[in-house]
Parts: sequence; C-alpha cells; structure tokens
Amino acid sequence: MLLIYCPHCQEYREEEEFSYGGEAHIMRPLAPDALSDKDWGDYLFFRTNARGIHHEMWYHAVGCRRYFNATRDTVTYEILETYKTGTQPTITGANS
Amino acid sequence: MSQNRVASHTGAAIDFTFNGKAYQGIAGDTLASALLANGVDVVGRSFKYARPRGIFGHGAEEPNAIVQLGSGAGTVPNLKATQIELYQGLQASSVNGWPSVNFDLMGLIGAFGRLMPPGFYYKTFMYPKKLWMTYEHFIRKAAGLGATPVEADPDSYDKLNQHCDVLVAGAGPAGLVAAREAARTGARVIIADEQSQFGGSLLASKQQVDGIAAPLWVASLVAELMAYSNVQMLPRSTVFGYYDHNFLTILERRTDHLGAVSTCGTRQRLHRVRAAQVVLATGAFERPLVFAHNDIPGVMLASSVSTYVNRYGVAPGNKLVLFTTNDNAYQTALDWQGTGREVVAVIDSRRNPCGEIVAAVAAMGIEVIAGHGLIEAQGGKRVKRALVAPINEAGTQVTGAVRRLDCDLIACSGGWSPAVHLSSHTGAKPQWDENIVAFRPGNSKQQERSAGACRGTFDLQGCLSEGASAGADAALLSGYGDGSPQFPQIAVEEYIEEPQQALFLVPHTKPTSRAPSQFVDFQLDVSASGIELAVREGFESVEHIKRYTALGFGTDQGKLGNINGMAILANALDQTIAETGTTIFRPAYTPTTFGAIAGRDVNQLFDPERYTAVHRWHVEQGAKFEDVGQWKRPWYFPQQGETMQQAVDREGLAVRNSLGILDASTLGKIDIQGPDVAEFITRIYTNSYLKLAPGKCRYGVMLKEDGMIFDDGVCACLGDNHYLMFTTTGGAADVLAWLELWQQTEWPELQVYFTSVTDHWTTATVSGPNARRVMAKVCTDIDLSNEAFAFMDWRDGTVAGVKARVFRISFTGELSYEVNVPAHYGRHIWETLIAAGEEFNITPYGTETMHVLRAEKGFIIVGQDTDGSMTPADMNMDWVVGKNKAFSFIGKRSLQRSDTVRANRKQLVGLKTLNAKEVLPEGAQVVFDAEQKIPMAMQGHVTSSYFSASLGHSIALAVVKGGHDRLGQVVYCPLADGRSIAAEIVSSVFYDPKGERQHV
Amino acid sequence: MFNGIKLESPLFYFQTSFNKSAAADELFNAEAECGLVVKEAPLSAQLILRGDGSDTLFCAAIAKTLGVVLPLAPGTYHQQGNTSIYWLGPSEWLIIEVGGQAQKIEIALRKALKGHIAIVDVSGGQTSINLRGAGVATVLKKSTVYDFEAWDLATPISGCAAQTTFAKASALISNRSDGSYNLVIRRSFADYIALWLLDAGEEFGCRIEQG
Repeated sequence: MLLIYCPHCQEYREEEEFSYGGEAHIMRPLAPDALSDKDWGDYLFFRTNARGIHHEMWYHAVGCRRYFNATRDTVTYEILETYKTGTQPTITGANS
Repeated sequence: MSQNRVASHTGAAIDFTFNGKAYQGIAGDTLASALLANGVDVVGRSFKYARPRGIFGHGAEEPNAIVQLGSGAGTVPNLKATQIELYQGLQASSVNGWPSVNFDLMGLIGAFGRLMPPGFYYKTFMYPKKLWMTYEHFIRKAAGLGATPVEADPDSYDKLNQHCDVLVAGAGPAGLVAAREAARTGARVIIADEQSQFGGSLLASKQQVDGIAAPLWVASLVAELMAYSNVQMLPRSTVFGYYDHNFLTILERRTDHLGAVSTCGTRQRLHRVRAAQVVLATGAFERPLVFAHNDIPGVMLASSVSTYVNRYGVAPGNKLVLFTTNDNAYQTALDWQGTGREVVAVIDSRRNPCGEIVAAVAAMGIEVIAGHGLIEAQGGKRVKRALVAPINEAGTQVTGAVRRLDCDLIACSGGWSPAVHLSSHTGAKPQWDENIVAFRPGNSKQQERSAGACRGTFDLQGCLSEGASAGADAALLSGYGDGSPQFPQIAVEEYIEEPQQALFLVPHTKPTSRAPSQFVDFQLDVSASGIELAVREGFESVEHIKRYTALGFGTDQGKLGNINGMAILANALDQTIAETGTTIFRPAYTPTTFGAIAGRDVNQLFDPERYTAVHRWHVEQGAKFEDVGQWKRPWYFPQQGETMQQAVDREGLAVRNSLGILDASTLGKIDIQGPDVAEFITRIYTNSYLKLAPGKCRYGVMLKEDGMIFDDGVCACLGDNHYLMFTTTGGAADVLAWLELWQQTEWPELQVYFTSVTDHWTTATVSGPNARRVMAKVCTDIDLSNEAFAFMDWRDGTVAGVKARVFRISFTGELSYEVNVPAHYGRHIWETLIAAGEEFNITPYGTETMHVLRAEKGFIIVGQDTDGSMTPADMNMDWVVGKNKAFSFIGKRSLQRSDTVRANRKQLVGLKTLNAKEVLPEGAQVVFDAEQKIPMAMQGHVTSSYFSASLGHSIALAVVKGGHDRLGQVVYCPLADGRSIAAEIVSSVFYDPKGERQHV
Repeated sequence: MFNGIKLESPLFYFQTSFNKSAAADELFNAEAECGLVVKEAPLSAQLILRGDGSDTLFCAAIAKTLGVVLPLAPGTYHQQGNTSIYWLGPSEWLIIEVGGQAQKIEIALRKALKGHIAIVDVSGGQTSINLRGAGVATVLKKSTVYDFEAWDLATPISGCAAQTTFAKASALISNRSDGSYNLVIRRSFADYIALWLLDAGEEFGCRIEQG
C-alpha cells in the first residue's frame, strides 16, 4: 500500500484512491500513418521496464481526477517525487 | 488448590475443560498456565513422529501447546495455549494427536521414527499418483492441522483505518518509555502489545525499576500514558505486518478473552495504520538448547519457567535442573528457589562462569556444574532425569563420564534471539552479530528504528535508554519535540552479565546421526540429524533446507528453532552463520483470522449494489436481476408460472408487435463541454463528429491504440460546444478515465471538460410500433412526427410534466424513444409511461430480452461479442471507421498492421442451426469438420446465442476465421457430451435487414 | 395533467423501508442522543463548475453571482447561507444550494461567465447526508482511509473537504462548524452507503433522522 503525494490536492493520499497509468513521457507520434509497422509497434508495446528509477503516470481516480507523474524506485517502491503532467522530473536514473 | 500453584498466588476460580476433562484455573491465567497449574504434562503430539509434547514456552513462540478452541460455528483452530486468556467455561482440545494425546495410532509410527527422514512425504507418497488424495487425507488427519468450522462464523469483525505520528510495536520496557517520550511531545501515538497487559518482560520481573518493583513501575507508566489524549493504547493487539511506506497492520482481539463467541460486539478489529515513524520494541525470544530428547514434557525455556512462577504463580514441577550458556538464565534458579522447590543443579556449558548472578546462585547453596552439557533428557510423558557430561571448550564433544541427575523439570537457555520479524517485513536483512550470538535487525528500509531486546540489547538499563531515545527520535522526525528524551536514564537494579557461549547443538556421546533425536523445530519434528542429512543429500541454500526439512513451517514460524537450525546448517556446510544467513520473515507475524481481513465486507456489504431510481418498482414487480458490474439490472420480469424462456419470449414479442419499456439508466453518460469537443471526440471515436449538428446523434466506436474495440455508444450534440456521450454500462468509468488521459496528457491544448452524469439521469426506453403513440400521450411540446423528429435525432421537451431529453435511438431495431429525466423524477416518469402504455399492453423487459432483440439485429455488445482482440472490420463494421479523417484517430494506424489486415482473422457472422429449435451454448467452439480427430482445429467460437421468438428459430453470433467469406458454409459446434451441432454461416443481421422498422 | 409530481431523493426508499420496519421507532424518533445520527439533506441543487481559477474575472463573476467566493485552495470549501462551493480539482468545483434550483443557478452562471467553462447539473445524481454524534470519528475511520484528524476546524463560512473512498464506494466529505460531517454521495451507491453507516454506527447506537 503506497502513500502518494498528489501534486494537485497537495497532500499525501492512500494508494486505493489512485489507479496506475503506465510509463510517463511517451509521446504519441505526430504522424502515425507515416510510421512503419515496427516503429508503430515500438510505440504501442515496448516500455523501458526499468529496474530502479521509473517515471510513471498515476490517476487520482477517486480524488481530483487529474493525471500526474511520479518518479518511483521499482526496487524499493519508494516514490521520490511526484510532478504535474507537462513538467519534467528533477530526479532521473541511468535509463532516463 | 491445584498441585502446582504457588500458595501465595490467588484469584477467582475459573472452570474450563481440556480434551474433555474439567479443570480449574484462576483469574489472570492463560490456558497454558492453568494447564501447568493442574499438572497437565502432555498437551499434544508432534507432527511427524507423534511424540508426546508439553508446554515449552509462554508466548508466541510456543510450538507444542496448539489447541482447538470452542466448538461448532465459533471454533478456532491452531491457537497457542500460551496466548489464550482463560475465561469461564472455556473448552479447548489438542489439535495434534488423533485420536487422543495420551495414546494414539500415530504413536506407533513414532516408534519407527527413523523411517521418516526429511523429505519423507516427497519420497514416500509419490506413487501411485491416484492414491495421493488418500495419503493427503490420512496425513492431514493424523498430523492434526485443526478443524475449520463448517458453519458460518457467528462473530463480527471490522477494520479501522488509523493515522499516527509514532507507532510503537510492543509495550515492554523499551516500548513503554518510547511511547512516553513520543507522547509528551504532542505527537499522535499508538502503542500496541499482543498481551492483555502492557509491560512485557517486566510483568514477570523481580527487579526494581526507578526504586519500585517492576510491575508497579509499569502500572504507573501505563497510568501516565492513559492520561494523554494523543495516545491510543491497544492491548491484546499484535502488529503482524509491516508493508510499504510505513503501512502496518494490527490485529486487536477485543472479545477473545471473554468467550468463544462474542456477545458484546466486534470480536476482532484490524487496524490499518499509516504511521509517520515506527518504533519496533518487539522483544526477543529465548533460544532453547538442542540436546537429545529435548522435547519430552517437562523441558521448558528458562524464562518461561520464571514467567510461570513470577507472573502466574505456577511452579510446573518439583525438581529443577537448569541448563544454560549464559548468566541471564541463572535468574530462573533464584526464582525457582523462591517457590521453596528444589533446584537440583545448574549446568553451565562455560568453563568458568564468573558473573555476579552466578556467585549469587552459588551463595544460595545451589550446585553449579560448569563446563558441562545436559546431553540427554530421559522420561516418557514427563522428564525423569537428565544426563550430564563434561564437554570440550568448543562445545563439540563429550569429554568425560556421564552423570545422571533425577529431576522432573529442565529449564534451558541458549541465549536470546531478537524478534526481528517486523523489520524483516520491510526488506531489512537481519545481520549476524557474534557478540550477542544472534541476528540483529538489518539497516532500516523505512521510517523505523528498533529499540531494546529486538535490537539485541538485553540489559534492562540499555532497553530503557534505547526506548527513550527511539521515542524522542521518532517524535522529532514526525515533527514533534526536540529529539532529546526527558528520561534518558532510569535507575534499575540488575546484575552485570559476563559473555555467553555460542552453543547450538549439544554434543552427545554418540554422533548426531546415531544419538537420540535432538529437536530443532518441535512442531514439525525437525532434528539436528535431519538437517545434517539434508546437507549430505546435497542441499546448501537455507531457503531450500527450510522447504525440504520443513524447518520453521509450523504455526510458530520458526520463532524458537530457526537460529539453532541455521547454525547447525552452517556447521554442516562448514561455513559461518553470517554466510549461511537466515530465511526471510514475511507477514503475518502470528496467524490472523480471515474474519478480520474481511472485516465488514461480508454478506450484503460484500460489494456495493448499485440501484437505478426505478429499482424499487422492478423489485415490486418481481423482476429477476442480473449483475452488470455492480449494478443490479432487471434480467426479466416473469409472470406467474413463467419460465425464463417464456418470459423472454413474451417480452420480446411485445416489443416487436406493440410496446416494451426498458430501464436503461445504467448506461454511462458523460457530459462534454468546450470549444474543441467535436475535434476531441473525433480523435477518440473512429468516425467523425465535426459536422454533427445540434439535435443530432451518432453511433460511435472507440478503439484502444492497438486498434481493438474498447467501447461503443451514441454521442449526441446538445448544442454548440456541448455533447453528451453514452458509454456501455460497464465501461463508464474506464471511458471517462480514457478521455481524461488523452486530454490531460497528450492534447492539453484542446479545450474540453468532462463530467460524469450517469447517476443524474433516469433513462426509460419505450420501444415498439406503438412507441410514438405512447409518447404522444405524455409529451405535447415535441413534434413526434418522423419528419420533425427522425431516427438519430434528439429533442428537449416536457414529458409527464418534467423537463426531459428524448433521444430517438434504438437498440432493438424498433421505433424507440429514450426518455431522460433527472433521477429524482425517475419513478414518476416510469410509472407515467406504464400507465399511458396500458392500452398498448406496455411490457417491461429486462436485459435478457434486450440481448435477444439486439442479436436479432446483429448489434454487438462490447465485451460479449468482442473480447479486446476485435477490430471494427472483424465485427463487419467498417462503415463506422472514418478513413478520411484529417487526424489519425486513436487506433487508426493499428488497423493497417500486418496482423490486423490478414485474411483469416476471426470475423463476426451469424449462425443458424440446421435444427431450428437447438440453441448453441455461448462459448462453444466452431470447427469446419466434425469428424476430425481430437484435438480438432478450432476455427472460432459462439459469442451470443438465443432462441428468437420473433423468428421462430435459434440465432447465434459467432466469430469465425475468415467468416465474412464463408456465408452459406455449414460449420459444427462439438459439445462436451460428444454431440456436434451443425449450423449454417449467415449474415449477422437476422431481423429486418434493411433497418426499416426503426425509421418509421 | 401531471399534478402532484413526486420527487424521490436517493435515500427516499431507504428511509421509507426503515419506516415500515420494527426498528423504525428506534431509528427515527428516539430523542436519546445517539453515537451516530444520519440525516439526508434531500433534493438540493448540485452543479459541477469547470473553469480557470487563475482567471480573476471568472472568480469575480462567481462571487458576484453566487455570493460565495470560489475556493482556490485544494481541499477546502466556502459557504454563505444555503450555498457552498467545494474545491474538487484544479479546475473543478461543486456548487450546492440547499433548497435551490439547479436550472436557475445554471442560467445565472452562464450569463455571467465567459470563455471556456462548463456547468453541469448533477442534482439528480447525488445527495448530501450529515453525520453527527460521538461516534462519527470512529465511523469515518471504519469507512475511509483519509486522515480527518489532520484537518483544521471548520467555521460557518469555510472548512475542509476531501474526495476519497468510502467503504467500497466514494464520497466528498467535509467538516462543519458544529463538529459534524457532510457526505456527498452518488445516487446509485446511496443504499449501500446507508446500510454501511447503519452497520458501522451500530456499536454506538445509530439513528436516521428524516431529511
């Protein structure tokens, strides 16, 4: 059970209020139709699956209904920071 | 007066029974202390060899006295007698020892104990496989895993979500002072202890603390804590799990001490605690010594003997031999001497014990036999004598003649093992410390610190100092106080102790493999020779040895035997204990009831039941309900004597021939406003909404980015910049999150706001040839003519006196109006329509009829006819895909992937059985050749299947490989009973293929 | 033709079904102070308001139209008379007017507000209930994972509010100046939540007061 700081509600909330949104900072290609099957497949299916620092989206489903990002250590489950969508993390790992 | 009760110890008498026999204890007893007071030696039989076993410990470490409490619905298996508070009328029985503890069948096996080496079950009960169920039944019954109640649990359990600044686990000396230091800073403090009374080891201590007797000092400290409004004290409460981000679980036993079934509210309460800081003060377990036949009743832990004497006034025997490797246990000799009973001798494995307390014991005239080991206990159902022999300095060999000491009680102590369980739950790896001959907690992974004995600090002065610092530190880090304790030092009276000896296996005159069993894990009969044998058979990892020998697998989870086992293993592997390591402790620390984990989420509160505003009407009409997500939707409305099929036939024919009414309120509804709505939803849906005018509706399908159908529904343009999106009942929340995802993270420049209005509207759908006539009776301000209000239009108006939105959309293929009003008016609008429709025999229909009617029309249901692997083309719905839209809508690119364009994808078709009355089972597999050998080549499956009363034959929808090119082909659905049903592939639209009826 | 239109609040049937039960006297009429008293404030006007809180014109128009200053701090609400505005998210608020009419409020707001905004009538979809009594704090601990003890006390014109899980449903929970709590819950979950509250309050003695 994680304790997650919602950058919009500006307080820590219990994990059960949130749902996980997958890896953050993946841009949708601007011209999907111009991509090869392989490049489109990379965007669709392939994720970094980092061991350690990972940037990921969370949705405050039962709270303010905002998506935001978290930097989480996938080994210790420690959440090192949360930040609003559209901003950049201050903590980055080797894979970032 | 029971035979073993110390005369000075009195209390109110309490009657109880054990294994059917009546006994008496006194107030304050545990079941264990009461049994010992009554001279009950044998309390169970061991798991494998069925050896008689007696009470060994006094707390959570107890391996032998495992009992079944109560009977009937309230019975609880596998409780430790040492943790059961005695109450009037308590009934308990041994879980081990079928059919009785004093003589049993398995006792015979005990005589052949050597036939049951480690891995016995793996090796013996392998073949033949079909007999395994028989073996298992026998093993379980004989092994005594307790009986689970077969009736529903009569008790009530609940959960409390707690938040605090400082959680203190354990209310022994370290925990109590930690709580006090944290409390005085104003921090919110929770202190929990598994015992009925706070004080831990001090409750059984004869020491002076701060100038007064230890139990009195505890009482004054507890009183002080109770006066703080910011302190929550939880006795009878075990902190049993430590999870991520300082989340801990505590099981509070609120009524277990009063009776088997609670008569006064919640039996157990699960506290789910989020703590800013944690102080672990969980104490330590005394380690037994591993010598031959150390499991005979009458062998106990030294501290347990002291606890029974000092706290419960019970002297469990007459003639004591104390066997120790350390100074600490000498206190037991003093305590025993205090009862007036005989201390035969103290056996000390060390050559020259010279601590202060050793001198004190010798001064009492008690014989101290140094440099010796107690190598074997003898006796049957009770210890009769101890064999004692000189051993070498390393403690590995017997070096001289064996001496026999007559006794009926052996107290042993191999030192203390910190209870590092909770810190282990956090992932902290216990560290071996040669100085204390024990594992200490590993480096903190969370906001916690250990204090006192669980940190490896065993002197009282040290425990109190550490507790005070830990409490002040935890408070400071949670934002309270200055971090310096108010009482850094508390005066105590205690002996200064000399170093102990590390002795994990006491040598015997015979080698381990031939000596009488030297037990390491009592509950599962793991012996030193068993561990050595496992090593000889090639096991090296501590985790593998654990699973092969079952070391630490019992309900005590190795609290007693683990360290000795690791050390014996290390020795057999010729490596250090630090190199060998320990197994990982995981939650739960002690067994926890399922009732507490379920809490109030049982029976009618198990899962929310969501109701529409018309729900009570459906109930009054005798509707049968179907669960759709959490919604209760009317399934069908049986009239007297009707079967489900008859009801569905009647309801369906009513819609086709006259008029039906459906409660469609559960459909998801999302209000969308903003200048970019049309652009936004055009990116989400496969088709375009850029030119949809106010007053118009359009059916849309949305895909996931992989091109697969995710949800569908109608979207209506309410006005400029204002749309209403309908979703499936089950997809409402997911679709809203999906819309928010794209707007917030990918296209924040698009100005759109989404609001769920699912609950706001009641939707009553009138459908059938007479729908316009009934609408005309209740609505006068909308021109209902087909010209003014066409199919796929919507209008604002007044229906039954209520402002309403009316949509001309149809899921039945008939003329339909969906009337939407705010839900406060839900029942009013419904009953008004029912009354107005009476002349047309208006017929309420449920989800089953709705399914049949839409299947007749070939309309898909997302999630039934699709399964997350279907594209619009697979569903024969290419018409809904806007291929020329400027923006590459979600999922579009995936529709061109090599896999989504291949020819033999499963495609939606209709199936018409050759025998018109035969209804295919949903989920049936489709094959092209029914005569082929098994396994057959499966070509698809049936997704929807019904009997259609309107058509007079069965209909089915199926997905079949390359199905769109196979119209007219006969396929087969092989059934489990060996039959195959033949069906012809037809168009998926069975009824009114031109769609004329909904346009009238 | 349609005189006497009967409105039913989300807890209408829950209340009437308990009216019929043997426990009705205890549940409704007992004057004795109970540990938990549940009271619905039925049929109030409830609207979702969306817009840009950093737009001073937007805020000023709200204040002028509703007589309540828009709360911009997360987790707060403002109240004047029968009207409250709750912060729900960075661009989202809930307006509740006890005894008000949503349509009137919507028309007034649409007239006053410019630019990218949204106003949605959700009155039919939710209801407010008030919880008071000595057992309320414990009932909330049984029902939600939120830490209400960390809140500042409410005044007659402002207080704290949080959207969170409530049992297996959800609620917008706020504190009131009299020490009680208000819950805004969804219609379809109302019966479940009422049952849950009766169960959670049982140990203190629980009463339902007619709204």
